[in-house]
Amino acid sequence: MLFTCSILPISYSSRVRMSLKPREVNFEEVWGGLLETVQQVVTMGCIKRTVWNERFSDVYSLCVAYPEPLAERLYWETKKLLESHVRDLYAKVSKQREENLLAEYHRFWIQFSKGTQYLNNLYSYLNSQHIQKQKFSDADLTYGSMQMDVSEQLLEIGELGLEIWQKEMITPLQCRLVGVLLAGIQQDRLGATTDAPTSTIRGVIHSFVDVNMYKKKATLQLYESVFEVELLSETGSFYRKEASSQLQGCNVSQYMERVIARLAEEELRATKFLPPSSHKRVVKEVQDRMVADHLSTVHAETSSMVTSERTRDLSNMYTLLRPVPSGLLQLVHHLKDHIKQQGLQAITSLKGDNIPAQFVESLLEVHKKYRTMISEVFHNDQQFVGALDKAFESVVNHRGNTKVICRSPELLARYCDSLLKKSTKGLNESEVDDKLGHSITIFKYIDDKDVYQKFYARMLAKRLIQQQSQSMDSEEAMINRLKQACGYEYTSKLHRMFTDMSVSSDLNHKFNEFLKNKPQELGINFSINVLQAGAWPLGQTTITPFAVPQELEKSVQTFESFYHKHFNGRKLTWLHHLCQGELKVSQSKRTYLITMSTFQMAMLLMFEKVDSLTCEELQTHTHLNDEQFSKFLQSLLDSKLLLTEAESLQGDSLQGDVGIQLNTEYTNKRTKFKISVAPQKEQQHETEQTHSAVEEDRKLYLQAAIVRIMKARKLLKHNLLIQEVISQSRARFAPQIPMIKKCIELLIDKQYLERTPNTTDEYSYVA
Amino acid sequence: MKVRIKGWTGVATWRWVANDDSCGICRMPFDGCCSDCRLPGDDCPLVWGCCSHCFHIHCIMKWLQSQQLHQQCPMCRQEWKFKE
Repeated sequence: MLFTCSILPISYSSRVRMSLKPREVNFEEVWGGLLETVQQVVTMGCIKRTVWNERFSDVYSLCVAYPEPLAERLYWETKKLLESHVRDLYAKVSKQREENLLAEYHRFWIQFSKGTQYLNNLYSYLNSQHIQKQKFSDADLTYGSMQMDVSEQLLEIGELGLEIWQKEMITPLQCRLVGVLLAGIQQDRLGATTDAPTSTIRGVIHSFVDVNMYKKKATLQLYESVFEVELLSETGSFYRKEASSQLQGCNVSQYMERVIARLAEEELRATKFLPPSSHKRVVKEVQDRMVADHLSTVHAETSSMVTSERTRDLSNMYTLLRPVPSGLLQLVHHLKDHIKQQGLQAITSLKGDNIPAQFVESLLEVHKKYRTMISEVFHNDQQFVGALDKAFESVVNHRGNTKVICRSPELLARYCDSLLKKSTKGLNESEVDDKLGHSITIFKYIDDKDVYQKFYARMLAKRLIQQQSQSMDSEEAMINRLKQACGYEYTSKLHRMFTDMSVSSDLNHKFNEFLKNKPQELGINFSINVLQAGAWPLGQTTITPFAVPQELEKSVQTFESFYHKHFNGRKLTWLHHLCQGELKVSQSKRTYLITMSTFQMAMLLMFEKVDSLTCEELQTHTHLNDEQFSKFLQSLLDSKLLLTEAESLQGDSLQGDVGIQLNTEYTNKRTKFKISVAPQKEQQHETEQTHSAVEEDRKLYLQAAIVRIMKARKLLKHNLLIQEVISQSRARFAPQIPMIKKCIELLIDKQYLERTPNTTDEYSYVA
Repeated sequence: MKVRIKGWTGVATWRWVANDDSCGICRMPFDGCCSDCRLPGDDCPLVWGCCSHCFHIHCIMKWLQSQQLHQQCPMCRQEWKFKE
C-alpha cells in the first residue's frame, strides 16, 4: 500500500464524478464500501489506488451529507468496527502458548499500529472538521480545571484505534505479556538465549509506550504501571539474591569487580530493551541492591584498602560508592587519615644536615603522590581534594604538643633561603624557580603565614645586604608568588626592600660622580646600601657602640655630608654590624683577600703595626661591648689569623690583659676567603628573636582588628567578637584565644572599649 | 703585617628628622605615610617650611590648594614658604 494523499489531487482526479456540494447520501450504501476498505487498511491488505482515492470522497460526503451530516454515525460505526477487529485479534493472540505469545502479539501490533496511521489519514476530513473542534485545547488541558473529562470526548480515528488496542488487547493480556517479558529478560540476565528475539521483546515493551504516545499528559503512565514496576521489583529480587550469593563466594575486592561488570551489563540490557526513561531507574535498582544494601560490608574493607593503597580496588570502590548518598564519606575519611599519617611519618624522623630541604621535599613528595592518586583513582573529586588539603593542613601545622612552636614556617623559609642564596649546588635558574614554585604548595597550608613572612623578610634582608642573592629575577618571581597567594599587603615590605636596593645603586652612582670632582680620594672602594628604617626587619636593638676605624672615617664623613646635601631632613644611622669589607692582608709569604665584617676589620687593622695586644687594648680602641667583642674576636681566633695563650676559649676569658698575638705563621691554601661568625648560635638567637617579633606584631594586628570590628558594630558580645577576630586574621595566622582576651583587656585599659554596664559579656566601642 | 682596606660596603638606615612625631595635617606618624599613600619613604616625603614646621608633602600641597587668599602654615599662620 502506498498512499499519503493530500486532498488536492483526489478532488482533482475525481472532479468528473464528484461534487463538493452537500447532497443526500445513503449511509448504508457508502459505509458498505468504506467498511471493506477499512478492514483492508487495518490488516495492511492490498487496496487499489482508485479505490483508496474514492474512499476519501466517501468520508467527505458522509461528513457533509444532506439534510443531516452523518459524521457522528460514521465515527461510531468505525469505532464498532475497530473494536470487533481488535477483539478478533485478541482471540487469536490469547490462544497462543506462552512461547509464541510475544511474536504473535508483536506481529499484530505492528500491523495494527501502521494500519491505524493510514486510517487516520483516510479520515482526515472527519478528524479536522468534527473531532478536533470538540477537543480540549492545550491551554484547556494545561490551565483548565481538572473536572474536564477527557474520556468523554471523541478521539481522532488514529487515536481511537490505539485506545481500543489498549482496552481490548493490552488490558486483558497484560499479565501474561509481562510475565513472558520478564522471563525473557531473566533469561538474558542469566546469559541464556531468549525465546523471542531481542527486537520482539523490545517491540512489545515499546508498544506500551507507543500506544499512549498521542496523549498530551502521562504518556508513560501505562508503561510504568503495567511493566516498569514489575520489572524493577523483579530486578531488585534478582540482584538481591545475586549479591548475597556472590558475597559468600568471594572477597570484597572480587565482589566489586563483579558488581561493576553487572552494572555495565545491565546498562547495555536497558538500552537494548527499554525506553530511555527506564535506563537510570534500572541501574539505580541494581546499585541499591548490590551496593547500598551491602554498604557496611564494603565499608569494612575501606580502611585496609586505603592503608595498603590498592588503587584498583579504590578506583572500583569510588565508582560504586559515588552514586550512593554519602557513601563516599567513609572512604574520604580514611584517605584523609592515611595521608595525614604518611605526611607525619615523612617529617618526624628528619635528621642530618639540611633539614629544611628534607622537610619540604619529603612533604612535597607525599603531596605529589596523593595528588596523582586522587586524579587517577578518584577523578579529581572535590571531596577527595578537600581531604588531601585537610590532611596536609594538619600535617604542616602539626606540633608535638601545644607548648612547642610549630617549626614549619621557619623551615619553609629557610628552604627558600637556601635556594635563593648563591651556592655551589649546581641548580640552574629554572630548576630553582620550579622548586620555589612547588614550595608555594606547602606555603598555602601554613596557618602562621606571618611567621613565615618574618623569617622570609629577615633572610631576604640578609641576602640583599650581603649580596648573596643568586638571581634577582628569581627573588622577584618568588615575591610575586607570595603576593599572588596572600595579597599586596603581605609582600609590600618585601617589595619596599627591593626598591631600596635599586635606589641605593643609583645613590652609589651619584656618589661616585660626586667624588670625581673632589681633589681628595677616599683610598678605598666604597659602596653603600641606604635602607628605609621601617621597611627592613633589622632590630634597632642590635646597634652597638663602635668606633669606626680611622681608615674608614673619611669615607663615612664624606658620604654623610653628600647625603645630607641631597636629602634634606633625613637622619642616617650606620648599621656597622651589617657592614662588611674586603681586606688585603700581606703576610711574609703571601697575600690574602679576606672578606669580613667591619668589627673584625677594626680589630685586625690594629695589628698592622704591632704583633701583640691585650684584650683590654683591643676593646677600648674599638668601643665594642663585651658580648660583641668576644664574639667577633673569637671568630678571628677560630680562623687562626690571631692566636691567644688563654687556656679555654670560652667567651668570659677574652678580657682584661689576656694577650692576643698575630699569627705570623698563618697559611691558607685559598687566597680569597671569608670569615664568618659562628652560624649555629646566631641562628638559634635569630629564631627566638623572630618569634618574639611575630608575637608583638600579632598583638598589634589583633588590637587593630578588634578596634575595626567594634567601630563598625558599636556593641558586641564577647564570643561574637572573638569569632570575628579569628575570621579576620585567618589569612595570616591562627590566633590563640587567650591572646585575643589579653588584647581586649589592653584596649579597655587604653579606653578604646568598655564593658557595657550591667552585662557580663558585652563590650561597647568608646568613640 | 701589611693590612689594607680594599673595599667596604656600608649599611645605613635613614629616617626623617622632624621636630614632631606626626604630621599636623593628617595626624599620621612621619615614619609612616600620609593617609593617601600606601608606602612610606621616598614616595611620600616630608617638606619643611621656613617657619620650621614640617608636613607630608601631599598633605601641605592639598592644604595650600584649598587656601584662596594667603598661603599660610596651618600650624602658626605665618606665610608659607618652602625651606630650601
